[in-house]
Amino acid sequence: MTELPPVDFLALSAILLGIGLFGILTRRNFILLLIAIEIAMNAAILNFVVFASFAGAGVGAYGESIAVVLIGLAATEVAVGLAIVLALNRLRGSINVAEATTLHS
Amino acid sequence: MIFEEIAFAALAAVTVVTALLALLVRELVHTILWVAVFFVSLSALYFLLASPFLGVLQLGVYAGAVTILLLFGVMVTRKRIFSREAATGVGPVAVALAFLTVILVASASSVLPSGDLPVRGVDTYLLSSTLFSIGGAWLLLLGLTMLGALAGAIYLVREGRE
Repeated sequence: MTELPPVDFLALSAILLGIGLFGILTRRNFILLLIAIEIAMNAAILNFVVFASFAGAGVGAYGESIAVVLIGLAATEVAVGLAIVLALNRLRGSINVAEATTLHS
Repeated sequence: MIFEEIAFAALAAVTVVTALLALLVRELVHTILWVAVFFVSLSALYFLLASPFLGVLQLGVYAGAVTILLLFGVMVTRKRIFSREAATGVGPVAVALAFLTVILVASASSVLPSGDLPVRGVDTYLLSSTLFSIGGAWLLLLGLTMLGALAGAIYLVREGRE
């Protein structure tokens, strides 16, 4: 089995979270924003999988079941996000989040 | 052992580079192709971590469904799929946050265990029995969330709502 140090995987996860945060803060296109959120969420899922597989079978099964639920949740989030994209596109004619100001008073 | 180290280094490099390319490339369709490569390399990492079930799930849900959904979103909302869009500049706050995260992890790495912890992995049979006994509530909640998301998505995109 693998004898890589868990720290390597955790560092990779942190770098991915940083990239996701960078995308969330800088991109203005709604689809790019969704992709950045997905990257950040994948970093979190990778964290769960790393700890699950280094914890071994007994405890690891809980971690992996949480990862399964998280993967489903992320897919759901993309579906709702794309529905928002379609609605925004119909209302405004563009998917720039800076122009989505309908809720402003 | 040495093979696993090389595999991890290669997969980690591909993952980070494709995640960056996905956010920095100018064409939206290229972004989605890069993000598909990102999902596939992440699933290979799950295989390396002795979690084959999650690897397959990642391939099916992310590299399959999510990528196609995103591509569909691009195709529906644009007149020309390959039209260029203006790139926004790199914000200093975001770069600072990313560096801060990396530095935090680097400083925490001396505390965390390293080296002599072997991956033991999780048996798929054990995972499924956990998922449907103790994790059953989570699975049920996920189902309810998906149902709510379905209803919400239909409400958002339905015709005649201005």
